[in-house]
Amino acid sequence: MLQEKNILVDVSAKTKEEVFAAIAQLSVANEYATSYDAVFAGLQEREKESTTGMMDGFAIPHAKKHEIIQAGIFIFKLKEGVEWASLDGKKIHFVIALLIPAVEANTTHLKLLSQVARLLMKAEIKQQLKNAQTKAEIVQIIQANIN
Amino acid sequence: MTTYKIIAATGCPTGIAHTYMAQEALEQAAKEAGVTIKVETHGQIGIENELTPAEIQEADAVIIAADKDVQSERFAGKRVIDVSVSKGIKEAPQLITDALAGKGHVLGGVEQPEASSKNINGGGMGHKIYKDLMNGVSHMLPFVVGGGVLTAISFLWGIYSADPKSVQYNEIAALLKEIGGISMNLMVPILSAYIAESIAKRPGLITGFVGGMIAYSGGAGFLGGIVSGFLGGYIIVLLSELFKKLPKELDGLKAIFLYPVLGVLLVGVSMHFITIPMTSINEGMMHFLAGFQNSSPIVLGLIVGCMCAFDMGGPVNKAAYVTGTALLAQGNNYFMAGVSAACIAPPLITGVAVILFKKYFNRDDRNAGLVNIILGSTHITEGAIPFAAKDPIRVLPVMMIGSSIAAILTYMLKVQVPAPHGGFLVLPVVTGKIAWVGAILIGSIVGGILLGLVQKYKTEKAKKD
Repeated sequence: MLQEKNILVDVSAKTKEEVFAAIAQLSVANEYATSYDAVFAGLQEREKESTTGMMDGFAIPHAKKHEIIQAGIFIFKLKEGVEWASLDGKKIHFVIALLIPAVEANTTHLKLLSQVARLLMKAEIKQQLKNAQTKAEIVQIIQANIN
Repeated sequence: MTTYKIIAATGCPTGIAHTYMAQEALEQAAKEAGVTIKVETHGQIGIENELTPAEIQEADAVIIAADKDVQSERFAGKRVIDVSVSKGIKEAPQLITDALAGKGHVLGGVEQPEASSKNINGGGMGHKIYKDLMNGVSHMLPFVVGGGVLTAISFLWGIYSADPKSVQYNEIAALLKEIGGISMNLMVPILSAYIAESIAKRPGLITGFVGGMIAYSGGAGFLGGIVSGFLGGYIIVLLSELFKKLPKELDGLKAIFLYPVLGVLLVGVSMHFITIPMTSINEGMMHFLAGFQNSSPIVLGLIVGCMCAFDMGGPVNKAAYVTGTALLAQGNNYFMAGVSAACIAPPLITGVAVILFKKYFNRDDRNAGLVNIILGSTHITEGAIPFAAKDPIRVLPVMMIGSSIAAILTYMLKVQVPAPHGGFLVLPVVTGKIAWVGAILIGSIVGGILLGLVQKYKTEKAKKD
């Protein structure tokens, strides 16, 4: 589920919406979803419920849609901080997006996604992710810490 | 058994990220503070790391960090700190400090005799069964109220207003009755589904629903629904035991294919065979009843009363009702009067009980009991089912006593009711109006006092435990 092709470092985005657009675009290009609009709307809908901007510059937007055909993790490291109404008010530098099919019944996938979410509460992991410069490093950090 | 100083429950609407981040935050903060914690998560997968009643009992404090229902009624009587899931993520250390400092509020103990009467059968299996039944009943209740009240309203246009052939026919009334009927017909499937869901989570919901539909269409009534609920739930439990050895990669296949296909097959076949005898029970009871048609008012009233209240819509009740309508067609207006009295009494019994023994019932029951006065008055016996389904062994005999008294008095006073339903709305055509209403009220008041005493006994016993 976590693949280098779904990771982008040095993403230039000025707003949350631009980040969502990039997630939607990549997810359709890599065949995780069939509709750009649906992914974009799904991410925005979730955001309306409550912010996914967490603490220390990390955001974990997610969407659950019929148009999403396989569960995926998309990771964007942003060039500059983006305003996200985060829990601690800080700008977001690191985005981990989770895309989930509307009828996901695979508990293994769901568990993996929740483990990734838990990682973002660990100070050392957050530091490691911030320091990571390449896609391979990011994959390696996450895989080393989930089972 | 491990005991935890603090227990917590987290949950968010999507159930993918925040639920688990709050779990992690709380666990970290507790570790930091050097206290033990167990965090239950309500996510997309379902409930994980579930708190046991014993763990809830032993914990000093409860933290709820959730934007959805996490069944907080389980924590009645405990000191609870209740915040949003975001706060659980952001302010976990503060929440742990607050929990240790004795902050938070004690969750309504008096409001929820339900939660405390769980020890009624001495914990263990008894409690489990009670919890499963309650889950079914609490989900069923709104369907009964919604459907029952709409049906009752439709009778205001006349009890035949839904029949296109009648002069009373009214389109609005027919629509209301149809909608109400659909809602009430869902009762048994819903009861069954949520009993099974309590036992076996989401996979149980499937088997419970299907089993409940078969119980409903097979005429097995709410007792059949209770059977199919437990059957559906434990079929999934059995399957999950059998599938334990399957590799983890097949988890997805299990949830979306194996449980539904095999579970529905097993529950369907079992319920098919369970409902086969329903027709013969029904016919047997009708035959049995036919033999007593001309016996003394006391014997006939006792039999009719017990039959009507025994399964409220199941094969035994229907035998009495169908016999009543058949005799009505032959011009016997006496027999139906007793059947109606016995069918009207059970909901009224619950109404009397919640009025006279108010403090022993929780808020939902109190409201349902009051609504039941309307449902009873219009001959919608189903209103009493939620009360009976919770504790059939104690409640059904009480209902049978109340209904029997109402029926016996009705027969003794030679009341004649020429209509098959409608309750007190058909009073204008009843011969012996005051006698009939009086008979029903006496039966309902006696039954109501007994039901109240049963509830009082349960509540007080639960307090002692």
